Amino acid sequence: MAKGDRAALLQGTLDLLILKALSAGELHGLGVSRRVEQITGGTFQVQPGSLFPALHRLEEAGWLTSAWRSSENNRRAKYYALTRTGRHQLGHETSEWNRIALAIARALET
Amino acid sequence: MPIFRTLRNLARNLFLRGRVRREIDEELRGALAALEAEHRAAGLSHAEARRAAAIAFGSIDAIKDRVGDARTGASLETLARDTRFALRLLRRSPLFAVFAIASLALGIGATSAIFFLFDAVVLRKLPVPDPDGLVVASIGRSGGTGGTNNYSLPYPQFEAIAARSRLLDGVFAVNPMGRVNVAIGGQSESAEGLYVSGEYYRTLRLAPAAGRFLAPDDDRGGRAVAVLNYDYWQRRFGGRGDAIGGAVTIDQVPFTIVGVEPAGFSGTEVGRPYDVAVPLRTSASLSEEPPLWNRSAATWIYVMGRLAPGVTLTAAEQETQAIFAEAGLAAARSASDQQFAREAIWRLEPGARGIHSDLRQSYGRWLRLLLTLLGAVLLLASLNVATLLVARTDARQREIATRLALGAGRGRVVRQLVTESLLLALAAGALAFALAVVGSRALLGIAVPSAEIVPVHLAPDARLLVFTFAASIATCLIFGLVPAIRATRGGCLNAVRQVGGAPGRRLLDRVMVASQVALSLVLLVAAGLFLRTLDRLWAQDPGYQRSHVLMFSIEPRLAGRRGDEVPRTYRRVLDAVRGVPAVERVTMSAVRPISRNYYFVTSFRELGAITLPPERRVRVAFNHVAPGYFATLGVPLLAGRDFDDRDAVGAPRVAIISERMARHFSGSPIGQRLGAGSGAREVVGVVGDVRYARVKDQPREVVYMPIFQMAPRDIFYTPTVEIRGAAAATTLLPAVRDAVTHADPAITLFEVKTLEAETDESFAQERLLAILSGYAGAFAVLLAGIGLYGLATYSVLRRTPEIGLRMALGATPSAVRRLIVRESAVTIGAGAAAGLCAAFLAVQLLRSQLFGIEPTDPVALAGAVAVLLAIAAAAACIPAVRAARIDPLHALRLDT
Repeated sequence: MAKGDRAALLQGTLDLLILKALSAGELHGLGVSRRVEQITGGTFQVQPGSLFPALHRLEEAGWLTSAWRSSENNRRAKYYALTRTGRHQLGHETSEWNRIALAIARALET
Repeated sequence: MPIFRTLRNLARNLFLRGRVRREIDEELRGALAALEAEHRAAGLSHAEARRAAAIAFGSIDAIKDRVGDARTGASLETLARDTRFALRLLRRSPLFAVFAIASLALGIGATSAIFFLFDAVVLRKLPVPDPDGLVVASIGRSGGTGGTNNYSLPYPQFEAIAARSRLLDGVFAVNPMGRVNVAIGGQSESAEGLYVSGEYYRTLRLAPAAGRFLAPDDDRGGRAVAVLNYDYWQRRFGGRGDAIGGAVTIDQVPFTIVGVEPAGFSGTEVGRPYDVAVPLRTSASLSEEPPLWNRSAATWIYVMGRLAPGVTLTAAEQETQAIFAEAGLAAARSASDQQFAREAIWRLEPGARGIHSDLRQSYGRWLRLLLTLLGAVLLLASLNVATLLVARTDARQREIATRLALGAGRGRVVRQLVTESLLLALAAGALAFALAVVGSRALLGIAVPSAEIVPVHLAPDARLLVFTFAASIATCLIFGLVPAIRATRGGCLNAVRQVGGAPGRRLLDRVMVASQVALSLVLLVAAGLFLRTLDRLWAQDPGYQRSHVLMFSIEPRLAGRRGDEVPRTYRRVLDAVRGVPAVERVTMSAVRPISRNYYFVTSFRELGAITLPPERRVRVAFNHVAPGYFATLGVPLLAGRDFDDRDAVGAPRVAIISERMARHFSGSPIGQRLGAGSGAREVVGVVGDVRYARVKDQPREVVYMPIFQMAPRDIFYTPTVEIRGAAAATTLLPAVRDAVTHADPAITLFEVKTLEAETDESFAQERLLAILSGYAGAFAVLLAGIGLYGLATYSVLRRTPEIGLRMALGATPSAVRRLIVRESAVTIGAGAAAGLCAAFLAVQLLRSQLFGIEPTDPVALAGAVAVLLAIAAAAACIPAVRAARIDPLHALRLDT
């Protein structure tokens, strides 16, 4: 139950993290998961059950493009990359996140 | 852009579904393999790596589902999949599909057909812009708030209101002309005419389909101009534009056609469409009666108006009430006019549905009753389909349980089951719509048998479509959702455990079937009562002999005859018919023995030596008849003499009275005087009582006066010629027609009908009630029978091992039959008992529609119960017989 709640709460966060993970360059699905784990210092471990639906959703929203390519160990894999609107969206969501984080931090200080 | 992208995604997900799905699959398997490879690289063994990767990844199928759900058009795809699945299931049980669709379609179709009529007659607003701004005027009497308002009004007050009201934006008057003779280019035919005042079209805010409308000036000047109804324009002129400006002769008076009304508009009175409208003021030249323009107490026009923007009905009513009272007093020319002006109160009511309609008045209540009746059938059909659906979901319990156990969401399973119901609903709705369109026409034909023009527009419209499909979908949702929710309740474990029949399920089944039995009994009782009513109507003795009588009407005035020419033409026609062989007797009367058109009433205070106080005056129906009337119709002459050729204009005024009227006199009424002053008549004969004009009315006091003693201006009706023949009445017709044409080629016969046919038509409402309630009852009892049969069959199936065991232990076949029948008998008994109670309550609502019997008529009740029991017994016995034939060895070997 608790897991489900957290997934719902972090829905928007997951999108932001995926966009951020891809901002440095294209990655395949598992690569995105690894990169998120890495840049959050291991705080977020994205399960495949959340990751893949999110990737497809973002692709359909036009923020990601995908292409089939062979991976490091010579296997065909689907690589995702940010589109121009995706990059724009990342900037927008980042500033939005900062605004909210600042507001919450202030609220908790008082 | 986002919309474009959404559409592209949708198209890709729907049309390249296979490819999209393959790609998702490949992507996920690739990722799993990569994960496995990572674990092996970290030093795990082959099997350990695979296991660890699978645990970390979770179920690939579940992820695939979630990815699919995240993609655009996911719900559409699910719907398509559910639909395909449902179609496959239905195709596998075609009998169920056909039965469910047919019973729903019949139930919904019949209800929709009645709704269609009800909508056209009662609910629909006039097809004019902003109908809600319209108001209808009437006159109430001061003192009492009760009683019915009079919708015909006097002219001077109308004129004053039209001129002075500020709160009404337009007021108009109409007056039906009745049948008129319309001649166009030498071709004449009869048509329906309407007088309208100048503001008619402006107030209704109509726009002409061609030409122009009547304007206030046309009316004020009494200009001979005419506007055609759209349908008439199409029928008579083929919708040609050159009809405008053409000449048309109405009752020998030349008119010019100036315009055509818009399509779909057929006047302000439901059930009385007209063909041609002319200015109200032209009635001065068209009618023989002196115009009533200045008579402030003569009520003859129907008035409607339109509220000015922002004005309430109450405000407009107050304003016009004052004008009405003032104008009434100002125009009063006698003491009785003044009394009228003081007592009459002008009233306004909402007029979106047009002026007071006889059709709406007489059929509205009755259609509501039919709607209830058929609504009950619909309920029954739904119950039946619900029972079937429950049985079906039950049979699929194992499948559903498996799906729940494999992780399908409950909502998902319910959605799939409901999709199946909706498919049934759509199929049934489409069939029902067709049925309603055809059915409502047929019903109208039975309800109004001799209408020359179809009295209401019955073009299938969006309202009917919405009603039909809303009814179908609502029915199926309610009755599809319940079994679906029940089947999935309690999750997968419970569902698996319940395989083989839920404990609560059998009771629910029984209750549903028992309520079908109850409902069908109520409908059967109603059908029985209406059939008995029809029977009793025919059995009534009307006081005359109905067989072998042929009737037709003639109207010399349509041929241009005026004054004395009118009765002279009557005589010529009567003489001509008398000469036809096989005609035994011929006569003429103002009112037919069965009449839809006329009902004349007056009252008398002076009866010979007796003078009654005004409040005890005798109200009588009267008729004008020619010599031989009583002999032709077989009404016995009890005393005195019949009218004869002596009773002509100028001769002493005489009357013949009915037996019931004779009782008001002291002693023999023969030779006594009836009435006082110049209107007094000498009673010369007494005849048997008859049911005047309608079979359903009780015999009442009737006074007959000789038609040939009337001054031509007092003949304000179109009389009927009655003929008694030796042979069947209709065989006389060709010879009679020839004789009349020979005697006077200008005279046409209309409303030709035998007295039996006229009687039959006067029972149209009762007959339609009997037919429809019979349909409802038969359908209901059939459905209940099928329900019972299904229940018993299922029970036998379920108890087969038990029965086998019983038989193996020595139970006789008849004991087994009893066992199964007893089970059904409980259901039938409970249903019938509940049905009888419900019927006792329900029939009280029918009381006003019954004739000659009580709502608790024992014949109808016993008949209904007998029919129900016969069907129920058959439905219960067939499975019982089958149960008795069970081979015990085979049954015991069955695995339960």
